[in-house]
Amino acid sequence: MKLPWSYMTVGDWLVITVLIVFAVAGMAWVAGAPVGSRLVVSDGDRICFTATLDQHRTVELEGPLGRTRLVIDNQGARITGSPCPRKSCMTMGPARQTGDLLACVPNRILVRIDGERKKDSPYDLLSR
Amino acid sequence: MTCLVAETEELAQARRLVFLALLIAVAVTVHTVESLLPTPVPWLRLGLSNVITVIALYLYGGRAAWSVSLMRVGLGALLLGRLFSPGFWLALSGCLVATSAMVLLYRWAGPRMSPIGISAAGAAGHAFGQILAARLLVVQHAAIWQIFPLFLLFTIGSGVLTGWVAAMVLEQIAKHPIFQKGKIEKVCDETP
Repeated sequence: MKLPWSYMTVGDWLVITVLIVFAVAGMAWVAGAPVGSRLVVSDGDRICFTATLDQHRTVELEGPLGRTRLVIDNQGARITGSPCPRKSCMTMGPARQTGDLLACVPNRILVRIDGERKKDSPYDLLSR
Repeated sequence: MTCLVAETEELAQARRLVFLALLIAVAVTVHTVESLLPTPVPWLRLGLSNVITVIALYLYGGRAAWSVSLMRVGLGALLLGRLFSPGFWLALSGCLVATSAMVLLYRWAGPRMSPIGISAAGAAGHAFGQILAARLLVVQHAAIWQIFPLFLLFTIGSGVLTGWVAAMVLEQIAKHPIFQKGKIEKVCDETP
């Protein structure tokens, strides 16, 4: 059995290096996002729940499959119980930085972490 | 019995058809078996069926790679009962970007790249296509791009691994007389 690098050409190394640099730079950019201050839960169409992150509490969110349990503590927000079949939302770990996302697609629950609302911002509202 | 040139060409075409059908069958099988294996995170799979797409690309070119990857996604979804589900669209989008990346890179770089680099580029394209479809169809929020860098890093690793497997298989296949130019005609002439 020959090792992978015995097959690899300069072009291979170039492509792989560029991809890894891109991935690491992206991860550094994501890790540099500021810690968020509140969470917003939407059920696909509308916002159904919001809360600040500086508290300890457990909420049950109603979805089409049943109840998704959301825990907020000093690590951030995470899903600890879900009626969905694959439970991938429970492995998404604590979310605490601005833009972090916890999603349970089967139960249509989307938890998003929002940043501090800037008081000195010249805009009342930004729509996208 | 004599052997005509036209006949060997016809033979080569028939052989190509049979091999392509075999490659598709193997790709669908590998894809289905892999989908049934438990994984720590649902979306994280090695993508071993990409080995077959890379082999088809190196043996028979871009069109063959397209047929293998599209047939694999379609037949795999049919077998697993996932046709037209959100997961199917994610897989299809990943497959389209991945195959475009591999075919274009192969056409442009040719022998300057081994199956490992081609496969790594295809894996990165697969990750991009999947997240793009997830962004448009499932999550509908730009924050999903935050998971892309980590996803990309994993996928490069699996791309190198599947490319390595493809490189080893291609090396073995190349030793067989039917994949060596000129040998077939000789074999044909020698038949009594």
